[in-house]
Amino acid sequence: MFDILTEHFDAFSSGLWVTTRLVGLSLLIALVLGTLVAALRVAPSAWLQRLGGVYVEIFRNIPLLVLLFISFAGLRRAGVGIGAWTAGIASLGIYTSAYVAEALRSGVFSVSKGQREAALSLGFSQAETLRRIVLPQAFRTVIAPLGSITIAMIKNSAIVGASLLALPDLLKEARIVNSNTFQTTEAFFWAAVGYLLLTLSATVLFRTLEARLAIRR
Amino acid sequence: MGYLFDGDNWEWLWTENNASFLLEAFLVNVEIAVIAIVLALVLGLGLALASIAQARLVRLTAKGWVDVFRNLPLIFLILYLALSLPDSLKDFWAANAPGFLPEALRGKLVLAGIIGLVLYNSAVLAEIMRAGILSLDRGQREAAAALGLSYRQQMRHVLLPQGLRRMVPATVSQLITLNKDTTLVSIIAVQEVVRSGRVLSNTAGNPFVGGGDIAAPILQVMIFIGLLFVLVNLALSRLSRRLELREGRRTAGARRVSVSGIEDQAVAPT
Repeated sequence: MFDILTEHFDAFSSGLWVTTRLVGLSLLIALVLGTLVAALRVAPSAWLQRLGGVYVEIFRNIPLLVLLFISFAGLRRAGVGIGAWTAGIASLGIYTSAYVAEALRSGVFSVSKGQREAALSLGFSQAETLRRIVLPQAFRTVIAPLGSITIAMIKNSAIVGASLLALPDLLKEARIVNSNTFQTTEAFFWAAVGYLLLTLSATVLFRTLEARLAIRR
Repeated sequence: MGYLFDGDNWEWLWTENNASFLLEAFLVNVEIAVIAIVLALVLGLGLALASIAQARLVRLTAKGWVDVFRNLPLIFLILYLALSLPDSLKDFWAANAPGFLPEALRGKLVLAGIIGLVLYNSAVLAEIMRAGILSLDRGQREAAAALGLSYRQQMRHVLLPQGLRRMVPATVSQLITLNKDTTLVSIIAVQEVVRSGRVLSNTAGNPFVGGGDIAAPILQVMIFIGLLFVLVNLALSRLSRRLELREGRRTAGARRVSVSGIEDQAVAPT
């Protein structure tokens, strides 16, 4: 059991590092895009709201695997090929951003109306009110759902490596170790430990953030 | 943009039987989803009940099981099962699968896909159901006990109906996720819609494989497949919203319950 870990430690650790980077970068994209889309969803114009709604419904309901095929093989065929990393991060980030946008939107609605009215009456513009008053509070009410989304994202990152993208993530490395040693259970066991390690640390991180920052309503 | 909407690149869709080829493959996904949903709901309820059981050993075992399987990537489980399910079991399925199933579902590897989907989703659903039951006011249980109901009767007549109803939106969200995740079995070579899409984009436009002379670019094929999923899942979530509105009138003031590790939280309208 342990000798497969010690013998192939480099493979497992580099896989874990690739998965971590993949998740970190995609999370960044998901948060930025998700915030923008959430802003559209609560914009004062019905058309912008609808635009945000279409974005969310499309990317929340399309399988991540299909998105990966579109962004990698599809775009390559169209002549605007992007690399495996770019395609993987963009797909995972865009897919997750729809969930982030939905979480944030419900957070925005939980910020009391008085906050917004007070800001507007103090002379803040709509955009400033959203950026300085409403969104900061919304973020702090949706820390727990954002934690769930991040954990789901760690799990979804395995799809990126398992698709046609040749990203050597944790699962991919475990499969390579397996095909070299034929010790399937051992190889997958250590990859499982790696994934549980990641999801567990995300849980601890978000629980700490929640204890420090959350506004309970 | 020109490339995307160019009529030539969409011509494959209405030539020969390409569209029905994809739709039939999509039906395989739907069938896998239905089988997995039924099994995952049943197993999930069992796990949820076990994880709030009074016997400590049962409770801890169920909790441990649920925590492991819902924190592992689904594709990880599917690939592991595909590699490690005993050959005897796979052969048994291939030889004895009921004839009414489509050919794709009678293959050797589809079992790994379905078992993986059920293991993962039953754990997630168990956690959702457990959270729903635990979110009920303890007075409910105490009142049921005070009326002389046995543990079983309390569960069956008081706690489960309320607890599960409260979690309908979260459950439906998870079932939508399951529906999307049926595409993952394409990675273990089950002939479903994504795999058919890849076949189509390889063979169409290739006269040597019998695909005629019309190209089916993978971008357009995958967009078409994506739209199929968007349509079906939108219909599912509309349905759930209607259920939710109806329930909202009956169980006004239900608390919001959050379950970690699922993307879509049950967001109660406030």
